[in-house]
This record gives sequence, C-alpha cells and structure tokens, in this order.
Amino acid sequence: MSGAAAIVHSPELEAYGFGDEHPFNPRRLRLTLRLCEELGLFEGYSFVKPEPATVEDLQTVHSLNYIRRVQEAGKMQTDFETLVHYGLGTPDNPVFPDMHAACAYVVGGTLRACEMVMSGEATHAMCISGGLHHALRSRASGFCVYNDAGVAIARLRQEYPGLRVAYVDTDAHHGDGVQWMFYSDPEVLTVSMHETGRYLFPGTGETGELGRNAGRGYSLNVPLEPFTDDESWIECFEALVPEALRAFRPDIIVSQNGVDGHRLDPLTHLSATTRLYEHIPHRMHELAHELCGGRWVALGGGGYDHWRVVPRAWTFVWAAVSHQEVPERVPEDWIRDHQPESPVALPSFMRDDPEDHPPIERAKEISEKNRRAVEEVLEKALPLMS
Amino acid sequence: MLVEDCMTREVLTVTPETTAGEALRMSRERRIRHFPVLENGRLVGIISDRDLRDAAPPAGDPERAAALEKLKVKDVMRREVTTAHPLDPIEHAARDMNERRIGCLPVVSGGKLVGIITSSDVMRALMRLVGAHEPGSRLELELIDRPGALAGVAEIIRDLNVNIVSVLSAPGKSPGKKTMVLRLAMINPTPVVQELESAGYRILWPPQQEEE
Repeated sequence: MSGAAAIVHSPELEAYGFGDEHPFNPRRLRLTLRLCEELGLFEGYSFVKPEPATVEDLQTVHSLNYIRRVQEAGKMQTDFETLVHYGLGTPDNPVFPDMHAACAYVVGGTLRACEMVMSGEATHAMCISGGLHHALRSRASGFCVYNDAGVAIARLRQEYPGLRVAYVDTDAHHGDGVQWMFYSDPEVLTVSMHETGRYLFPGTGETGELGRNAGRGYSLNVPLEPFTDDESWIECFEALVPEALRAFRPDIIVSQNGVDGHRLDPLTHLSATTRLYEHIPHRMHELAHELCGGRWVALGGGGYDHWRVVPRAWTFVWAAVSHQEVPERVPEDWIRDHQPESPVALPSFMRDDPEDHPPIERAKEISEKNRRAVEEVLEKALPLMS
Repeated sequence: MLVEDCMTREVLTVTPETTAGEALRMSRERRIRHFPVLENGRLVGIISDRDLRDAAPPAGDPERAAALEKLKVKDVMRREVTTAHPLDPIEHAARDMNERRIGCLPVVSGGKLVGIITSSDVMRALMRLVGAHEPGSRLELELIDRPGALAGVAEIIRDLNVNIVSVLSAPGKSPGKKTMVLRLAMINPTPVVQELESAGYRILWPPQQEEE
C-alpha cells in the first residue's frame, strides 16, 4: 500500500498566529517540522509552496462583508464594536497585522494539498497549518478566521461536479464550522468525534445533529465523555468511521487531525495518548486506499501542549501520509535545541509510555456511554445514507 | 419564556359530534395526538387518539370499523380540561402537565381557544434555554448567595471583552452558596478562569489542570 506523498508548507503559513502567549501560535508548526526533519522523515521531500486563497475562493463559504472586515482589521482600523460582531478582537481571536494575508495563505495551503491529490500529483498530501474548522460564514470563532477545509471542499465540489468528499474530524472540539457549511449537502459527509459539547467549546456536535433536508444522514457526530481514554476512543472510531465511509463511498477523504484530546492538553478534558494519534492517521491511510484510490488530504487543527504533544502527534500524521516508520526515540538534537525554551521536560520517546498514563476513573461507564453514542449515530444515520 | 412563545397557534379541533373514526384519521394524517373539543367556539372538552382507540374494540376485531363510525367524541372526551394562559411562564405549564400527568394544555384567553402547548413544546423550550446555539465554553462556579455576587463575575468577564452566551443557576451544594453555569463565547476560558480565581472565586468547571 503506497502512493506519492506531498507536504504543503512555506514560511508564510507560519504568520498565522495570535502571539507568543496565545495557545494558537506557529511554534506548533515549527517544532513539528523540526522534529520530522531531525528524524529524517523529510528526506527526499521538499515543501510545496502554496499561493494565498483569493477573495473569490473565500467567498465560496464566507460572506464578502466578513472578508472585508478581516482585511480592514489587519490594517488596525476597525473599531471594537464592529469587530466583536464578527468574532474578532476577543481573547480567542485577537486582531494582528495583515491577518487577512496570513489567513488566506492557510486556506491556500489546504487548497493546494487538495489540488495535488485530485490532479494525481500526489496520492496523499498534508498541510499541517490547515484544519481551522470553527470559522463560520461571517464570524471568526475558536482561533479560526477562515475555514480552509470548508473553502477547499466547496472548491473541489465546483471543479469536479458530483465529487463525493468525506471530511473526518478528530479534534477534541466539534468540527462545527465545516459541519454547518455542508449541513444540507448529501455529497459531503462530515464526521466529527469530539469531547461532548456539554463540557467543551463549541457546545454543539450532539448525536441528533444529522444534517438537514437532502443532507440528512450526512453529518455524523460522536460526543465523547470527558476523560475518555485511548481504548474507548479507538473503539468508537473503529465502530463508526470505517462503516460510515464504506456506506458513503467517498472520492476523496479530508481529515482534520487536531491533537488536543491528549491527556496533557490544557484546553480540553480528554485522556488520550500518542497511541490514539498514531492510530487515526494510520487508519485514514488504509481507508483512503480501500475506498478512494488513496486520495487523502491530512490537515492539522487544535493541539495546545506545544512542547510534549503536538510535535510528536503530528509527526505520526506525516509518517502515515508518507508511509514511513517512526523511530522509537526523540532525537537528542531536537531535545537539546528546544529544552532551554520549554517550560516542561521534553519527552525522550516518540510514543507515550502506558505506565505514565494510569487507567482513568470510571473507565467502564465512560466507554459504555461513548459506545451508546456511536450505536445511536449508526442506527439513525446509516439507513438515511443510501 | 412564556406559553405564548412556544405554543402552537393553529389548533386542529373537533366537535362533540365528530366521529371517533374521523378524529383518528385526522390524528394519523396530521400526526396529532390531542384535540380540543369546541362547541360554538367554546372549549368543552379534550380528547386524545388513545382515548378514542381504547373506547373501540381492539384492532383486528371485525366490529371495530363500524364501532368507530358510531362512537362520537362526546362519548369519550374528558370534560374537565386543564388549560394554560398565553402569559403563563412555561415552567408553570410544565408543572401542571407533570402533576396531572397530562401531555398537553389548550391555551385559552378571553374565553377563546388561542393555541395548544404540548409536553414536546415545553421540552423544546427548555432545550432552547439550556442549549448551545452559539459557540461557547462552559464555566461553572460557586457563588455566595448575596446581592451583587453575579455582578462581580460579570464585570470581570466584561473587562476581558468576552460575551456571555447564557446563564443558568442552581442552589449550591452547601447552604448560603449557589452554583452558576455560564457559557462564554470563547474556546479558551483560561484568561477568565485565572482572573476569577485571583479574585477569589471557586471554579467548579473547567477542572484544575494536574500539576505535572
């Protein structure tokens, strides 16, 4: 099982971020890319440079009014009252200089990855800057200004009429923005597994959110209980994703690889380890080969333990995209270079030691509750999907 | 939220002379379980599909069809009707339905039937009150039960330019305390949590990060 892999990245993509003290900042990208490099996983690959998305691209899922406000905001000339209406200028989504350009580049990265896979230039492509799944039509939300996956899927659907796109989102937060953009579209399947909205932003993503009108049955949501561990999460993923994708028969899979469900993540309350984040991209890769000739675009997403979790977890994504083995140890050079700036001890191994992650309390009840959510989704949605 | 905000205004009604067969047909076609019974515009009773079915021979009995055409609404309707007023708060309607174990209340104003509210309407209204309609994060905290306690919290949140999506409160676990559940329009509530903690508030959710 193999296919040519590509990585889309350029320094422009590192301009998207809200400052050093903010959880969403490009340190996540830099640490990841350095780690892949030190591990030798980029040998034989060069970064594919994207072009920024055009206003016309963005308008496929965003209102022109909103795009104009983002453009003005980046010139620091809009008053607070106007900004806040568009979700900007808040602690989550502060305004930064030239933010439109930075955000348009991220969308361009995801667009480029999709084009490469559709044209056959690559079988799989990764753009780890992408995955800004909360951005809404006319509002920035949850660190996301423009919805790169939304724009890319909408563009694919324009360029290849009838193309069936499966979007699989395993960020700890519900993939609300992408879901709402394609909520009535039966040719775009959105699957999101996330911590339940009762306890985590954005609050939506219940099993009952199944899609609207012709799109009913094409939005699948599995809310997971707080403290869900690898065991239960993988069980739910395996019970839902392969069956749903087989029933849908996609032409291309776009996956959002937020890694903020890790036990160390400061923003969420799940208890996964690197085992989950090695498993998911590995399986997305297999499913892409099984169902759609390998066509798979892997994006990034959330992940706020910048030092210990994100670089290792995203390395597993690249390893799956490029069919490479991940060595056991974190390279000493990487640790030596980054330890001085890190407030926490950097890990020595690429995979978490299960010994360090004792079983969670109430694991049995939590798995049972999660299992019921999956059963409910399969029962309600699959009959609608034919 | 009031009954008039969540009631159904277009009410299908029957008269005392309507046959059980016809009422059941209406019930099936329009997917409605309860009909107010009107006589000269006045509410005189209420009837459910179940009352009608129970009064006729069971399905499969050859006599059933004929019996349903002979049976009239007035023969089985309940004449003592609990009603709601459009300005009743929904929790009042919910209490009446719960205490009397009934599934719906005709809404009457000025002697006229103006709507109907069912237990599903009430559930939907409650879902609207507690639900997530705008992206937000849960913040749960314990407050001392005294004037101005919430204002202190709200001020801190305002100073951080954060919008409050919704607010719920419940009696606290210890006397003199109450629990507030706020949903804040932000993915990362840490700045709010930090400010509140340094002002001495006790945060119940999000949970404290483990010390590493």
